[in-house]
Amino acid sequence: MKKSRLGEFQELILMTVIVLQEEAYGMEIQRDLEVRLNERLSVGAIQTALKRMEEKGFLTSEWGEATQKRGGKRKRIYQATPYAQRVLREMKDIRAQLWNAMPELGMSKT
Amino acid sequence: MKPTDKHITTPKWPLKLLRLFIKRKYLEEIEGDMEERFQDNLKSYSIRKTRRLYAWDTLKLLRSELMKSIGGDKRLNHYGMLKNYLKTSIRNIKHHALFSGINIVGLAISMSIGIFMIVLLSELQSFDSFHDKKDRTYRVTTSRQGLFHGEEIYLATASHYIGDQIEHKIPEVEDVLVLRRNLSAELTIDEKSIPASGYYATASFFDVFSFKLLKGNPKTALKTPGAIILTESTAKRLFRDSDPIGKTVAVDGNRDFDTGIITGIVEDPPTNSHITFEMLVSMATMENSLVEHRRNIKGNPGHYADSYVYLVLQEDANTVKVESMIADMMADYNSKKAPMALALEPMGQFVIGGAGFPPGPTFSKRRIDMMMGLTIIVLLSACFNYTNLSLARALRRSKEISVRKVVGGTSLQIFSQFILEAVLLSSMAVILGLGLFFLIKPGFLNLPELSIDGTTIFTLNVTPVHLVYFLLLTLFVGTIAGFFPALTLSKLKATVLFKGASKMKLLSGVNTRQALITFQFALSIGLIVCAVMVHRQYQYALNYDLGYDTNNIVNIKIQGDYINLLENEYAKMSEVLGTSRSAVVLGTRNAELGEAFSEDKSDTVMFTTNYIGQNYLILHGFELIAGTGFQDHLKEGQEQNTLVVNKTFLKELNLGDPYEAIGKSIWYFGEQKMQIQGVVKDFISMSLDAEVPKAFAFVKMGVTNNGILGVKVASNDLWTTMAKLEKAYKELDPVHPFQATFYDDEIARTYAASKTTYSVISFLAFLAISISTLGLLGMTVYTTEGRMKEISIRKVLGAGINNLVLLLSRNFLIMIVVAAVMAIPGSLYILDNMILSKFLYRAEMGLIETLSGFIIILLIGVLTVGWQVRTAAAQNPADILRRE
Repeated sequence: MKKSRLGEFQELILMTVIVLQEEAYGMEIQRDLEVRLNERLSVGAIQTALKRMEEKGFLTSEWGEATQKRGGKRKRIYQATPYAQRVLREMKDIRAQLWNAMPELGMSKT
Repeated sequence: MKPTDKHITTPKWPLKLLRLFIKRKYLEEIEGDMEERFQDNLKSYSIRKTRRLYAWDTLKLLRSELMKSIGGDKRLNHYGMLKNYLKTSIRNIKHHALFSGINIVGLAISMSIGIFMIVLLSELQSFDSFHDKKDRTYRVTTSRQGLFHGEEIYLATASHYIGDQIEHKIPEVEDVLVLRRNLSAELTIDEKSIPASGYYATASFFDVFSFKLLKGNPKTALKTPGAIILTESTAKRLFRDSDPIGKTVAVDGNRDFDTGIITGIVEDPPTNSHITFEMLVSMATMENSLVEHRRNIKGNPGHYADSYVYLVLQEDANTVKVESMIADMMADYNSKKAPMALALEPMGQFVIGGAGFPPGPTFSKRRIDMMMGLTIIVLLSACFNYTNLSLARALRRSKEISVRKVVGGTSLQIFSQFILEAVLLSSMAVILGLGLFFLIKPGFLNLPELSIDGTTIFTLNVTPVHLVYFLLLTLFVGTIAGFFPALTLSKLKATVLFKGASKMKLLSGVNTRQALITFQFALSIGLIVCAVMVHRQYQYALNYDLGYDTNNIVNIKIQGDYINLLENEYAKMSEVLGTSRSAVVLGTRNAELGEAFSEDKSDTVMFTTNYIGQNYLILHGFELIAGTGFQDHLKEGQEQNTLVVNKTFLKELNLGDPYEAIGKSIWYFGEQKMQIQGVVKDFISMSLDAEVPKAFAFVKMGVTNNGILGVKVASNDLWTTMAKLEKAYKELDPVHPFQATFYDDEIARTYAASKTTYSVISFLAFLAISISTLGLLGMTVYTTEGRMKEISIRKVLGAGINNLVLLLSRNFLIMIVVAAVMAIPGSLYILDNMILSKFLYRAEMGLIETLSGFIIILLIGVLTVGWQVRTAAAQNPADILRRE
């Protein structure tokens, strides 16, 4: 767990990759996240996160189709590894435990 | 937006940036993403914004994860490479002592000048920076066009009248300060007297300037008549350690007041202040006296030569608007013939602006430009030495470069290696240069007339901030010097290099080298010509016939009411041939400026003037054309009503020929009616280089408390005579030191600025010559080395040493001739239009002066080349040929 820590932003991207399935390439991920987060992101931020997670073994990728809109350049489709799915689940559990452990007072304030 | 998005393309440079920097394996994906994003954005934004977003996104993509590493996709150990370059460079510098020596010395010489300029400029920049309102403070300047020679005079002064008008009528102005110059007085308390000079100042002095008032109240210290503020050091001289505040002092030698009260002590103006003073006296003192003497100085905008007007504008004020409002105020007064143009000069320009009658040190912009230009030229010259010698040596490095290339070194790497080497050399040079700087610093500071009024202007202290600039200088010089060789060497192909030396000659940039050396020669020749000419002009000015006799006249400064007694005393001495009194010494840039109108006020003339006593014209040998000189001194209570003028004065007022003009009246300063009593021939009133009117008027002088007594002495045993003069003086004036100078020495001092220019130029010329001689020496060594075999064979076949010297030096001779052809007309032009343009009377240029640079360089060149070639030619050809 220690070695494979996910940043918050990375976690969001990872989950988006899983949600988008076959369509999970850079720009699509960015569009999807921009809508969800309601803020503009830079290509650089998304790309850096993707490359880092690929290096850590959370993602694999392969070339997809090329489109006119991309100036004839191919997409790179990302896919989460089983390991990533496991880590995500673990994090969810840890969060759930923490939520349960939080006193009522603290919650009502936020 | 266009109907189809397809044709709108992404901006070019970000794409190039992407392709250059993003890792190759990521490039396609990221480029595609960026393109898609671009198309998306087009739907919601304008084309321009979309493009801007694209560029912005690109910049944000430049992250270490996505970028290529410097050594390409492979990971290289940069540290190792750097270490290797450093080691190679140091070995090279060590093993080629001649090459490194010539370059380090040459660069060090030129960089010492660079360092000097950095310190000098930053010191000029720091002028007046201690004033809190520096960026909002302005001075009203006055310029008048077309009064004489059709030239403009530009003065730092403006009338008190306009100062008052501005204060009352322009709301954008926060504070107005008026200073009146020429305040000098002798202060006495408890039997102790000291002379002090400074300015009359209005009460807003401390609102405008940030001089620290150590004692006293800044708001009230300059309010009441008779209020005096002393500088710290002046107060020390007069009061020692007692508290001066509130003390009453007796004032002598000043017609405006007899007693004063010390109301404040101000810190001494620092060296970097544009204004210097020993005391300040309230303007109210002056005003009282004006009422007494019934003189209308405040109400007349024509009295602009004696006061300074400083303004502090409000934060958001528009200077152009304020200037035009001032111009409107002057509209009524301005005559059509010579209108007065008032302008605002920002505080940053006070020292370098070049306005006449400045209140403290100034340094002309022209001088800065000249020195900057020469510095850059000398720096370039030293850089060229490096470039030249590196190229000449390229042959030797070719094997190293080819090995580097074969094992995979890129051009960029080899380029940076050579730049690094040059920078390394220049950093050694900068350390040596810093040492040289400290050697030349005292020499520069001791130059006469650095600032125009002779006060201290520079300290040239090196502060830690300068070190950053020195570092930049090092990098700059290293890069410039190393750029061309690095470029040439890094472009070479390994295969060509391995084929051997024969082809290298083509590659080593013979043309560039020749062009650079010719440039250096031209530079040296030009500088020599300039130095010779400036020196000649200086000599010329010293020996110029001013139109009056200055020989054996001693000028003694009078500072008290004893002039009649002293004159009587001197008249008794047998060594004294005659005496005469005057207000100032002519020919030394000291005459006062005045303005007069013809009787019907239709013509006006600007002139310089001097108050003189009865014997003055005779003693100084002025040539009287018509009328008479003054027969007596002005008596007590008598009004001045006659003038002795020169011919130009008559011409400008259209008063006819000298005989007609006698007895005609004019309006002196527009207020006082005066008759012309005599006419003298034109003469030099201020100096040969001062832009002043040629018209002149002498006014009769009475008893004076501060003036000059000219004493003509017999020429045998001057020192004993001087001692006698001093003894008589001391009996009458025990307070002031005996200030006497020979007229001729005083004239020499007037042209000290020329002497300074001459010293600076000849010093730089000397440096430029040293640098180019070093370069020439290096070049000869390498050329002869490359042609050793040829020399030997020629010798074996029977060529004499002289033949060989001629053969090898022919190229250099051609270059020197070409350089002379370029440099001589160029330097004559620069002399005419920049350096000597101020001189209205010019020394003629002879053939010797014009050719001086060429001859000197030719001599140095022949000696250097000849010496080298002789050594080479004297070797036994068998030794050289055997090595094959």
